[in-house]
Amino acid sequence: MTDLETLAKQVVGAGESPRMRASEAVSGPLIRQWTQAMGDKNPKYQDLAPPAMIQVWSMPGADRTAFQRDRIPLDDLLDALTESGYTGVVATNCEHTYHRYLRPGEELTSTTRLTEMSGLKRTALGEGYFVTWAVTWYAEDEPVAEMEFRLLKFRPREDKPQPEKRKPYPLKPAVNQDTEFFWDGVRAGELRIQKCGDCGELRHPPGPICPACRSANRTHVVASGLGEVYSFVVHHNPPVPGRETPFVVAVVELPEGVRIVGNVVDCPPSEVGIGMPLRVIYRPMDDELTLPVWVPLEP
Amino acid sequence: MSGVPAAIAGIGATEFSKESGRSELRLAAESVFAALDDAGLAPSDVDGLVTYTQDANQEIAVAREVGIGDLTFFSRVHYGGGAACGTVMHAAMAVETGAASTVVCYRAFNERSGRRFGIPDARLGGDPSSQGLEMSWHVPYGLMTPAAWVAMFARRYMHVYGATSEDFGRVAVAMRRHAATNPAAWFHGRPITLDDHQASKWIVEPLHLLDCCQESDGAVALVVTSAERARDLRRSPAVIAAAAQGSGSGQMMMTSYYRDDMTGLPEMGVVGRRLWERSGLTPADIQTAILYDHFTPFVLTQLEELGFCGRGEAKDFIAGGGIELGGRLPVNPHGGQLGEAYIHGMNGIAEAVRQIRGTSVNQVADVANVLVTAGTGVPTSGLILTT
Amino acid sequence: METLMEAQVTVGDQLPELRVALTPTFVISSALATRDYTPVHHDVAIAQAQGSKDIFLNILTTMGLLERFVTDWAGPGALIHGMKVKLGVPAYAGDTLTLTGAVSAVEDARFTVDIVGSVSLGAHAQGSVRLSLPR
Ligand SMILES: [Zn+2]
Repeated sequence: MTDLETLAKQVVGAGESPRMRASEAVSGPLIRQWTQAMGDKNPKYQDLAPPAMIQVWSMPGADRTAFQRDRIPLDDLLDALTESGYTGVVATNCEHTYHRYLRPGEELTSTTRLTEMSGLKRTALGEGYFVTWAVTWYAEDEPVAEMEFRLLKFRPREDKPQPEKRKPYPLKPAVNQDTEFFWDGVRAGELRIQKCGDCGELRHPPGPICPACRSANRTHVVASGLGEVYSFVVHHNPPVPGRETPFVVAVVELPEGVRIVGNVVDCPPSEVGIGMPLRVIYRPMDDELTLPVWVPLEP
Repeated sequence: MSGVPAAIAGIGATEFSKESGRSELRLAAESVFAALDDAGLAPSDVDGLVTYTQDANQEIAVAREVGIGDLTFFSRVHYGGGAACGTVMHAAMAVETGAASTVVCYRAFNERSGRRFGIPDARLGGDPSSQGLEMSWHVPYGLMTPAAWVAMFARRYMHVYGATSEDFGRVAVAMRRHAATNPAAWFHGRPITLDDHQASKWIVEPLHLLDCCQESDGAVALVVTSAERARDLRRSPAVIAAAAQGSGSGQMMMTSYYRDDMTGLPEMGVVGRRLWERSGLTPADIQTAILYDHFTPFVLTQLEELGFCGRGEAKDFIAGGGIELGGRLPVNPHGGQLGEAYIHGMNGIAEAVRQIRGTSVNQVADVANVLVTAGTGVPTSGLILTT
Repeated sequence: METLMEAQVTVGDQLPELRVALTPTFVISSALATRDYTPVHHDVAIAQAQGSKDIFLNILTTMGLLERFVTDWAGPGALIHGMKVKLGVPAYAGDTLTLTGAVSAVEDARFTVDIVGSVSLGAHAQGSVRLSLPR
């Protein structure tokens, strides 16, 4: 048994903490602030506190030094986990049981008890321990509510994706006022095809004037995102900046009646063929550029 | 053409290499001197210059190096290798209208040792000009080399007509066979087999390395003057029976994928119709053709667009030896850009002139008319030269 | 606000969906109304420094919204006896929390409503609320 597990066992064995005074009495102003923030218009809360507020009464508030409760054994365990490198924390479960509704003016106390610490678990966030504790709130000596709370204290992965900037993708399109609707669409997850605002003709690649009716009234439709390989190539040589070879580029024919060029991805080049049904996905190339690319419709 | 016909009276070139070791301006000047010497003219006779918009040597710089004095005409033709025959057309128009009397067309570059067109350039799509915006629908996906742009057409052509990589390979084999007997060709004495073609590495599927022409350093220049004057010069003239430029509906630089059909070259169709109409000739009147061969698949498409065979039939025309020396239409007797050198189509015009003169190392018998084309997949141009 | 009577409710009844736009104002004012001053619920820079993409909803607010979701439907006469929540993905500012639920059980006149609270990343909270209704 590790030191942490030994400590956890001691804390479980210590049972309930002494009663701790809640930081605030149940009060009308705090109730109103809460119901307004939640958008909860239940008229019952003119006289009674929302049951879900139970934890609110014990929260320390903005000035943590103004409300200091005594340390309890659970604090020792959580500190020990942090010091051992399990610095990450994420709440996983919360269960409330309400015995009755509270009224403004009631002053509460609570006790806390560690119910369980799991063994070391591997999670998506990193390795860590699930810590579960129980809190009971009292009005005078009457238990009014209980809570079981579980969180994961984890050691953050070293390889956790950092919010650092990606390497800029070198193959940037030129964009001007005639084409920006397309790239705006791509960022919004839409494949936009230019449509003449007057005669309705669809056109890709787009341009400033309708060749069918001379209208400069440019609109667009959002394509279904489906398409079919009309022709394609597999690029092997020479190397292309920002790309790993081989890669596939296709002329894709859309059911809307226009063609568009794009990569076919997530599919071995040898499996791409003319007539292959595709659907569009959107692939971020760097922090600025997203490209519409195509994957086989049938996985 | 109408009025006073023009002719090519002189041709000149540097050696074709992978590293010229000289500046592009020097190459340009050397080729112009060679062409003038060939014609028996002096720099002082020249009053017009034409080149490609892609050429790095301005007309005035060439004029200074060569010692050309006053210029009354200078012009540039756009769209990469599509400019080749267009330079001769512009020169001929200048001669026929009297804007100039003697015009030199030139193309000079260190395309192998300097900036190579086949190396992806990330800046291609970055500029919000009409061409930058056009590129921007393709470059971000890594579709940014001439081989890749052409391969997209080739794949569709194969799908529709059942052509195979071997059908493209037969073009490369024929060009290398022609080059093998041309001492000026880079691949002189180095023919290939269809197996070599098939075994060569992928560039952009469906194109193998040997579907792509070589890259070269070098320069070619042509002297254009009136046919009447040319008859008094050193060489027998190659008369310009017709010249045309062509761009089709929905044209893009090299990515015209948004037209109804992707199996043809409509811009070459425009050129072909114009050439036949202006010259009064038909495909049956052509003894040899110089077809632009930067990539093999478009040789098939050109045979079809120009009416030498029906749609989808080029593979059979080629498999039957149609483009070989001794075949129905010997194509690129000098070895083309696949075999001789890649001088952006200008070296092909020089070969057409030699065929008219009867002086080619791979001379086709009884040549009266030669058809020449320029860059394919781009807005292009063409010529019919005649004796 | 009408109160549902016990006889009006049976297992399988669906609750009207509740959609809550998680504006920064909502995330911050609800965190403070629950007296939770942890910076990740009101300070974007600190939230991002800790690896979150934005400020996010605190648990006490999630509990409050589940309770509101049930009483919006059941009315002021309902008595809430307890709730149980399993927490999932964070509910970030800018997202929308959609609460859906249905009556899953009734035993000794106590109803259980099962609830899922979803955001664009997936399930933010799954749980149940226990209540009784006037006869
Ligand atoms: Zn229109």
